[in-house]
Amino acid sequence: MREQFQHSLITSFSLWFDHYLLDKGDAYYNTTGTFHPATDARLTSHNIFASPYKQFVSDSSITGANICSGAYVTGVFKGRSDGVIVDFENGRILSTGIASGSAMTGSFAVKDFNIYFVNETEEDLIVENKYTPTSDFPSANAAITPYDMTVPAIFISSETMQNDPFAFGGQDKTRTLVKAVIMSDDVYKLDGVLSIFSDARNEAFKILPFISHPINEYGDIKSPPYNYTSLADASGNGLFYIDRVFASKLSDKSKKLLPNNVFIGFLDFDIYTHRFPRL
Amino acid sequence: MPDNNIPIIKRGVRSAAPRILSPELRNETSRAFLSIKNQMVAEFLGHPITVEIMAGPDAPNISGTLGGRGNLFSFIGFEEGDDPIKPILDLLYSSFVQFNGITPTGIVSSVFIPTADEIFNETPMPWATGRSWTFGIERGISGLGWYLNQSGAGRSGGGLQASQQIAAAKFKNTQYISALLNKYTKLFQSL
Repeated sequence: MREQFQHSLITSFSLWFDHYLLDKGDAYYNTTGTFHPATDARLTSHNIFASPYKQFVSDSSITGANICSGAYVTGVFKGRSDGVIVDFENGRILSTGIASGSAMTGSFAVKDFNIYFVNETEEDLIVENKYTPTSDFPSANAAITPYDMTVPAIFISSETMQNDPFAFGGQDKTRTLVKAVIMSDDVYKLDGVLSIFSDARNEAFKILPFISHPINEYGDIKSPPYNYTSLADASGNGLFYIDRVFASKLSDKSKKLLPNNVFIGFLDFDIYTHRFPRL
Repeated sequence: MPDNNIPIIKRGVRSAAPRILSPELRNETSRAFLSIKNQMVAEFLGHPITVEIMAGPDAPNISGTLGGRGNLFSFIGFEEGDDPIKPILDLLYSSFVQFNGITPTGIVSSVFIPTADEIFNETPMPWATGRSWTFGIERGISGLGWYLNQSGAGRSGGGLQASQQIAAAKFKNTQYISALLNKYTKLFQSL
């Protein structure tokens, strides 16, 4: 299927959201750690070395963030030119050339919140109790299972879309409601996210084509370095406008009804753009 | 106080002295304003969403927003005894007309009615106060309120009885507050 408006919206919003949170909130921390040998049934052709963290920061426009470009194997740096693949989505190093039992360490910037684009309803995310922050996260001596969605996390979903007539010539105003469910292990971080995005009312972000998404199938950057600001600057004049943002927290009374100890918040983005959907 | 200021210039008889005619013009404008305001309130009270929510946890889904399954009061997650409509009604009732002065051709007045954003702010979800259930009616509501009600042993009373019905329900967005205010803003402008 050819790329549609919705694909572009998802790409544009998720990249903007990630950049905005990291930029406005410094919602990451630089750290060092060991990459533990791991397995992945989907990637039997590679040797896997997994950190005890999930998503790494990949956006080099974030000042101060240590963007991972490789790892040290017995004290020798191995980068992409050595065949190393950095899986930013799962906090891993993949390689075909490094022996599976090798001692590997590295330095990287870890996101405070993992960000996922999902197709689940709020009730599925919250009530089914799938996401419980482990008390010992990040685990000091173990890798996290790949592809599992791990809390603290923000789950983004595109809910509804509506076209209203805007101008002669077939131009419509397209309104899209994008919702984010924030699951945090502490209320300080939750309040921070809600505050940052409450202030995003009247912000605009660039329309980016689906193909411009910087991450490949391995979770690595397609053409390093990835810089959101440069990507947005080079992407034409089309904009999405954030007309309204509703920020809220699950009330304490309701939170007590849930079995896990996750702090939950909600962000509802009312997003406009003007387009010619029938041309 | 409503802050949706709709400026209105009521023209008097062009050749007459407006100062003499102004009491009559003011009365006429006030009467017309009250008539439209009452019409606005009546239309709001007669809206299927309003009727269904006012009927409480045992109401049928007359608005059709849940495909006829369960009802909105329980789906949103209100507690038995809640009156979610009252804040909206209070805001609509607080609409007023203000006379600003006399010009050589007539009197100048402004009508103040609530904005959609004001109503959204006054209608919080029972389980997340930063969210508005009226905005949700227009743009989509998750079934989380109902599920939380289930966890709390059916705070809304009707939640448990209708549980199987609502669990299968998918909410259908419906025009509500924004459409009503858009319509009546135009009518007030025609005063």
